[in-house]
Amino acid sequence: MSLSLILLQLITGLAYGMLYFMIATGLTITLGVMNVINLAHGTFFLVGSYITFMLVNQQFSFWIALVITAFIIMLVGIVVERMLIRHVYGKELEQVLLTFGLSYILVDISKMIWGVQHHTIATPDILNFSISLGGGFVFPAYRLFIVFIGCLFVLLLFYLEYRTRIGAIIRAGVDDREMVSALGINITMVFTGVFAFGVILAGLGGGLGAPFLGVYSGLESDILVTSLIVVVVGGLGSWKGSFIGAILIGIIETFAKAWFPALSMVTVFIIMIIVLLIRPQGLFGREVEL
Amino acid sequence: MKKILISTSILVLVILIAPFVLTVYGVYLATEIAILAIFAMSLGLILGYAGLITLGHAAFFGIGAYTVAIAGQYFSDTYVLFIISILLSGITALISGAIFLRTSKFYFLMITFAFGQMIYALVYQSSWTGGNRGTDVPVTLNFGFGEITSPIGLYFVMCFFFVIFYVLLRFFVNSPTGKIVKGIMENESRMRALGYNTLVYKLLVYTLSAIIVSVSGSLFAYFNMFVSPGITNWTFSGEALLMIIIGGVGTLFGPVIGASFYVVLQNYISTYTEYWLLILGVILVILVLIGRGGIIHWIRHFGENIFFSKKKID
Repeated sequence: MSLSLILLQLITGLAYGMLYFMIATGLTITLGVMNVINLAHGTFFLVGSYITFMLVNQQFSFWIALVITAFIIMLVGIVVERMLIRHVYGKELEQVLLTFGLSYILVDISKMIWGVQHHTIATPDILNFSISLGGGFVFPAYRLFIVFIGCLFVLLLFYLEYRTRIGAIIRAGVDDREMVSALGINITMVFTGVFAFGVILAGLGGGLGAPFLGVYSGLESDILVTSLIVVVVGGLGSWKGSFIGAILIGIIETFAKAWFPALSMVTVFIIMIIVLLIRPQGLFGREVEL
Repeated sequence: MKKILISTSILVLVILIAPFVLTVYGVYLATEIAILAIFAMSLGLILGYAGLITLGHAAFFGIGAYTVAIAGQYFSDTYVLFIISILLSGITALISGAIFLRTSKFYFLMITFAFGQMIYALVYQSSWTGGNRGTDVPVTLNFGFGEITSPIGLYFVMCFFFVIFYVLLRFFVNSPTGKIVKGIMENESRMRALGYNTLVYKLLVYTLSAIIVSVSGSLFAYFNMFVSPGITNWTFSGEALLMIIIGGVGTLFGPVIGASFYVVLQNYISTYTEYWLLILGVILVILVLIGRGGIIHWIRHFGENIFFSKKKID
């Protein structure tokens, strides 16, 4: 395997990793702050990519489509949290079943609206070129752009977490929820906001990923599994853990797909097992009480 | 003991009468219900008695089913195939459980989920499992007194297994070990303080339920004569959870009621619309929001109100 091919795989893996990072961050923040497991997370990803697809088909530019997608999916997230998730705080089994049912509902509604066929979104013109890596290998600029977006997103999260009041509230919420509400902060608003934020990340991930992942029902399951694995590897409630986990999983998965395609899923799973054997709480997770 | 005898005899009576009442298609559905009831019951054991939420038990169902389909090409003896599937699922459960159970609740859920999807991906991508198209089952059920292929024969075999597992799990739940497991669910640190190795007990329940699920998977292979990767997907585990919550968590019979309800409803609705999953999702959401723990609890609650019993369920 030549060096430029390895470089190519590395950047592809990085692009996938950044996408996984966005999605898994949504999942891990919801888990860390609200203690809610959202099995419909992959479905929000799918719905996000469908909405983007629809808007692009309506002659919207890709970027405006993304913004509108984020807005629509945010509304969906707020409604879902207010009407459904609110009732199952602190009840794991109910959360699993509720979000499982929700995922069925959303997937079937998507099928009604957009059909079951495999849709694609054209890469936006401005990024529709390739970068030569030498040795005859070319790399699509769009994936590099995803890596760039991922880095921007890391900076944004750092800023939000350490420089803003909301970040402080959320950090406090992860540590001690009751204390936060005792201090006079409207924790229900925080929860709605956090859930909506997580859902936006999933939906935006769907929109951003659509040009190279495609849009089809069935994708939600793969995305959900991968983001759960990222969260497990990285540690609950820690987006920094998700970052490392996502990059790791993205790169390993890409290389595994290239070298032994039939076992790519197994390879990722083995990584997860190894991490768990060494650190049952994940790479960046805190010690959890049983 | 007396209660087990009574409930079992009622069950056997219902099973014996059912074929006279039901149509041919009804018997077919009843057979499917018996198989799914075994699955739901044993998932109900780990959920309702050990408090562990797993989304990966369909993998064991798949192991059971695919063992019959694949190993069936080399061995035709039913007993041998069952033993292989029990050993395979038992060993897989022991190893995976030993790793997974060391983690906390959310982790366990996510890891079993990922585990199930790994098995799904393996089955889906491999050529020796027939890949995404699935594979035919080359053997028929034979316990040493002739091949059993008629619908009514299959019905009685599945029901026989169902009753056996029902009685077995009843005894297990009432045994000292079963009580300890329930104690761990209710207060793990106290049970640990009392000197029990909680991990061992959890592993025991996990493995037991995995083995029973794999047997139901093997039975399914004989019943369906065809296996496809769908039976190892996490949505199948989710559907089994759904049966449990429809029927009632924390009981053995609840999941059985749930499985019957589920199968009948699925057959009824899917003749009218292709969006059966949408309706299923709505039912699920409503059930969760209403709560009160499923049909069996409603019946009990209803019964208590009618007969003014002072007994309270907690």
